[in-house]
Amino acid sequence: MLIKCPHCGARPVEEYTFLGDARPQRPTSNDPSTMEQWFDYVYLRDNPKGRFDEYVQHSGGCRAWLVVSRNTATHEIHGTVTARDWTKSRQGAKA
Amino acid sequence: MREGFHRISPLADVAIQGRFGADKGAPGVELSVRHPLSIVTVIARKDKAEALSAALAGLKGCVVQWAGADQYYAVSETYAEGALYRELREKLAGLASLSDQSHGRIVIRIAGPKARAVLAKGTPVDLHPNEFLRGKSAVTQMAHVGVHLTRTGEDAFELSVFRGFSENFWEWLTGQAEEFGYQVS
Repeated sequence: MLIKCPHCGARPVEEYTFLGDARPQRPTSNDPSTMEQWFDYVYLRDNPKGRFDEYVQHSGGCRAWLVVSRNTATHEIHGTVTARDWTKSRQGAKA
Repeated sequence: MREGFHRISPLADVAIQGRFGADKGAPGVELSVRHPLSIVTVIARKDKAEALSAALAGLKGCVVQWAGADQYYAVSETYAEGALYRELREKLAGLASLSDQSHGRIVIRIAGPKARAVLAKGTPVDLHPNEFLRGKSAVTQMAHVGVHLTRTGEDAFELSVFRGFSENFWEWLTGQAEEFGYQVS
């Protein structure tokens, strides 16, 4: 399985470390009334079949954090962006 | 610096000069250890990446190698202990965070007609001369060890690894070079 790093080019999966789902967003409040949001953020994860966005670190290479869009059924890689660009585009979409 | 201070390469007892492998015919590669070196990690501060690369382009006395997004190694043979770090800290003030890695990494030079063949056994990086251009660097893994790889000449490369892995890495590298024959100098 080859993943294209935006900085290094195509590299084998052995060079990467997977963290997990990139979609949950950290709640901004520390208020006790937001406990349920925090519980969701910390513990609850979807297990989708199909396209899935994951945080991945190119730990055996440039060490950059990336978001890899992968098909969980076929392992097809749909695209890779840096985590920085991913966060920016998500913030842009919200605004 | 204390008088009599003398840096010893971690490969001093391992990289023994001579000709080895392939029944000691004409060597396919030549291996050597660059020591002592000054190595400084340079990492751009927030929003300073472009200003940093401009500042690095004007640097003299050291070679700047890419080492990740907005990260570089500054490497030189000519500076005294700690001098390169102090000089860069002054020149790159406000642009980059620095860390002196002179004692932390070891640089092995590999050159010769079979250099690509040896390296290709360990890394997925495309080493074709038209793809991996002279002066280009890549960060990758060989034999499970993180390696910073730079092409320095037509058939010449430099491999930079953490010093703690250097002995193990040297064993692996010479093992791979054995079939082509190698000269340690």
